[in-house]
Amino acid sequence: MNQLFIVLTASLAVLLIAYLTAISARDLIRLLISLELMFGAVFLAILPLFSIDASTAFAIVVLTIFTSSSELLVLITAIVLLDRSKKGIDLEKVSVGGETP
Amino acid sequence: MDTATLIIAVASVFAVLSAIGVLLTRDNLYAAIYMSVTMLLIAAIYAVYNVQQVVVLIAFVFVGAVGMITIAIAATYRSVPTKKVSIAWIAPVIIVFAITSYFYYNFATSNLKVQGLSLAFEKLSTDYMVLLVFLFSLMILMMLSAIKLARRVEL
Repeated sequence: MNQLFIVLTASLAVLLIAYLTAISARDLIRLLISLELMFGAVFLAILPLFSIDASTAFAIVVLTIFTSSSELLVLITAIVLLDRSKKGIDLEKVSVGGETP
Repeated sequence: MDTATLIIAVASVFAVLSAIGVLLTRDNLYAAIYMSVTMLLIAAIYAVYNVQQVVVLIAFVFVGAVGMITIAIAATYRSVPTKKVSIAWIAPVIIVFAITSYFYYNFATSNLKVQGLSLAFEKLSTDYMVLLVFLFSLMILMMLSAIKLARRVEL
């Protein structure tokens, strides 16, 4: 069993668990946590790229980390606003974009 | 199996176990804590390969900032919701998982050997200048969007 197989298997397992968490989530916090787990799987999947081109891999990691941080910033603001307007953070309270007033 | 492979295997197993903790726990606070532990273990795998820059970024930015904010917001909106799997999303998950598994299985044929890392940090500011400019622009845009959402006023 080589290292690449172990890393990619772990990445796949974390990705599957993140997907399962996302489709079983009933509130937005759990959905947010599942998104961050997906980014964790991405970090593991990027690791083999360091053996091919380290500078490109490092640039992708930096991009991934700061994009996810920015995304989290907006999502947390949206969760707080949803709680203010709908008095809850359940997924059922989130209406489909633009279909309902 | 050499020592490095053993450490990677142990860290991977614990990372997957703590990710399973996210899935199984009913409390959002514990889910956020398990998520932070998973990210720290992923950083530990990077540490085995001596990719210290990424270890610092994951530990400080992803766990230190993002993870702590998630734990704080999970503690603020602490609820124990019931779980119900969305049936409609099972098919796309299976398809994506199957495609990824196939390519990973074909790709994972050799050991990892990190090389050229000493120049990676220096080259980031020169070779990827446009990327960094777009990254900072994206972050400023996201922050302005967050402020606009929070204040509900036109900027």
